[in-house]
Amino acid sequence: MLTPEVATFIEGKVMMLVATRDATHRPMIGRGSGASYDGASGLVTVLVSASQWPDAVAHAGEGLPIATTYVRAHDYRAFQIKGVITGVREADVAESERGVRYVREQLEVMMGLGVTRLQLSSTLSDRDLVAITFRPLDVFQQTPGPGAGQRFSAEADA
Amino acid sequence: MISLSSIRDSFEGVIPSVIATADAYGMPNVSYLSHVYYVDERHVALSNQFFSKTAANVAANGLATVLVVDGFTGDQHVLDLSFERSETEGETFEHVERHLALLEQGMSHVMKLRAVDIYQVDDCRPVPAANPLELPPVHGEHRRDHLALAAELAQSLTEENDAERLLDAALEGLERLFGFRHSMVLVPDSGHSRLTTIASRGYQEFGFGAEVAFGKGVIGLAASALKPVRVTDFSRGRRYLSAVNAMGGIDEDVRIPLPALPAPLSQLAVPMLAHGRLMGVLFAEADKAFTFRYADEQALRLIAAQLALSLFWAESERERQEPETPPAAVPAKVPVDGARTISLRFYPRDASVFMDGEYLIRGVPGRLLWHMLEQYAASGRQDFLNREIRRDRSLQLPDFKDNLETRLILLRRRLDEKDGPIRITRPERGRMRLEVDGRADLSVIEE
Repeated sequence: MLTPEVATFIEGKVMMLVATRDATHRPMIGRGSGASYDGASGLVTVLVSASQWPDAVAHAGEGLPIATTYVRAHDYRAFQIKGVITGVREADVAESERGVRYVREQLEVMMGLGVTRLQLSSTLSDRDLVAITFRPLDVFQQTPGPGAGQRFSAEADA
Repeated sequence: MISLSSIRDSFEGVIPSVIATADAYGMPNVSYLSHVYYVDERHVALSNQFFSKTAANVAANGLATVLVVDGFTGDQHVLDLSFERSETEGETFEHVERHLALLEQGMSHVMKLRAVDIYQVDDCRPVPAANPLELPPVHGEHRRDHLALAAELAQSLTEENDAERLLDAALEGLERLFGFRHSMVLVPDSGHSRLTTIASRGYQEFGFGAEVAFGKGVIGLAASALKPVRVTDFSRGRRYLSAVNAMGGIDEDVRIPLPALPAPLSQLAVPMLAHGRLMGVLFAEADKAFTFRYADEQALRLIAAQLALSLFWAESERERQEPETPPAAVPAKVPVDGARTISLRFYPRDASVFMDGEYLIRGVPGRLLWHMLEQYAASGRQDFLNREIRRDRSLQLPDFKDNLETRLILLRRRLDEKDGPIRITRPERGRMRLEVDGRADLSVIEE
């Protein structure tokens, strides 16, 4: 289970990284376009553009591991959540709308920090979204500094 | 595989890179990474300071995947990496160390670089923008023909045989051809402890005589390492303040403020080398992020080399062409009664000269000025030959060919900028005239 703090954090205005891997353990990188946490099931769903990140999505399969990192751009506060994928499917209407909203809001956030729309041109995408759902196994604090990489153990349901 | 040299603007850290690894059981790990350093066509370097999990995973299987982003176009590329070796010294290590030192100046958590990890690049492929939010402009700064522009500027400099005009022409050319509106040239002292501004463009004050310590800030680092130093975005990671502080270098003893933008986002300093000797540093800055790209750095290296050689030869040329005969006696302008008294103090410790209580100049230019003022005070002499000054051992010129010309330019410009009662003019090649509008009251202060 995620703590309310972490759950709120990943559903907020944060940039998202996603990593899967192939059979040789070669990592595949993608970026998320919104995430949500279902407290009842304890599952996290992250939206990823299949057309922008085909490799990462291709290696996202049920039972396979996934790592996701969430970073708040203005202060670099970050968490990494690792888990096992429980399902991959096309995003539904509500999720697609969430993805559109996410891209719009993140553009505002990043442009407010001086990043241009062009620089983010292929970083943020709300097209062809797939919903990757996974069960969290570990939460790590990822904010740069002495505590970076430490397990967020008190709150994580490992 | 995409050529790494064709995506050099993605190795700038303007947009953070991403690194992913997997542990022995296949669980991935993904995080941001500030810099991926280009080493050669098949290798990149990573500074492994913070990423303990990444390091553990690489130790387990030797694999890493990174995503790099072009700081201007947003284009992304994936690099498949295999760990090759760690280095704790050498050119790549020093380059990374220098870069980190610059970014960390003024920050509280400075971490010493322990090693750089060198990775072989197994593949480099684009991440096509499936649905781009915006397309890069067809024409733009990122498409400028750097070689043609550098050639044009270098050509124009070859037509100039006067060192002072040469410096101004170079800075003017940087603005006209490259759009770099804020620039300066600094020259080193003989002991290589500081650099002094001799030419500047695009600032409210010229700042002639302003100093930067070797090893400090972008300029000082370029001088001490004899390598170009470029910062593409000071805004990332709260760099504003450190950028401003780092610019000065000599915080404790600022006598003339360095001309500087209040909040530069991009800076580039390129050493000017001729015959293996540091002749100066060519510096440009901008209030826009990512103004100076890799290709700009290469273009400025060409210009800096041309400038250095031109200065070197201007010096030699002047030595050959200067007149041997001492200047004809010209009656000194005798101050009339009631002329203002100019208080001039000389501190032998650092050869600094103060005029009417205000710092004027120090070092070799200070000794030169004092030498002329003493002669003027003793005999009313105003005219001097460059040649005789070069040979005057009492001036303690470290090397009789040691950039006397640039020191004289500096002195003359500093006096002009003060717009005060003392000037040095050049009635003809190889000669100088000291003009003193008032009664010079000289005193030497021993400390």
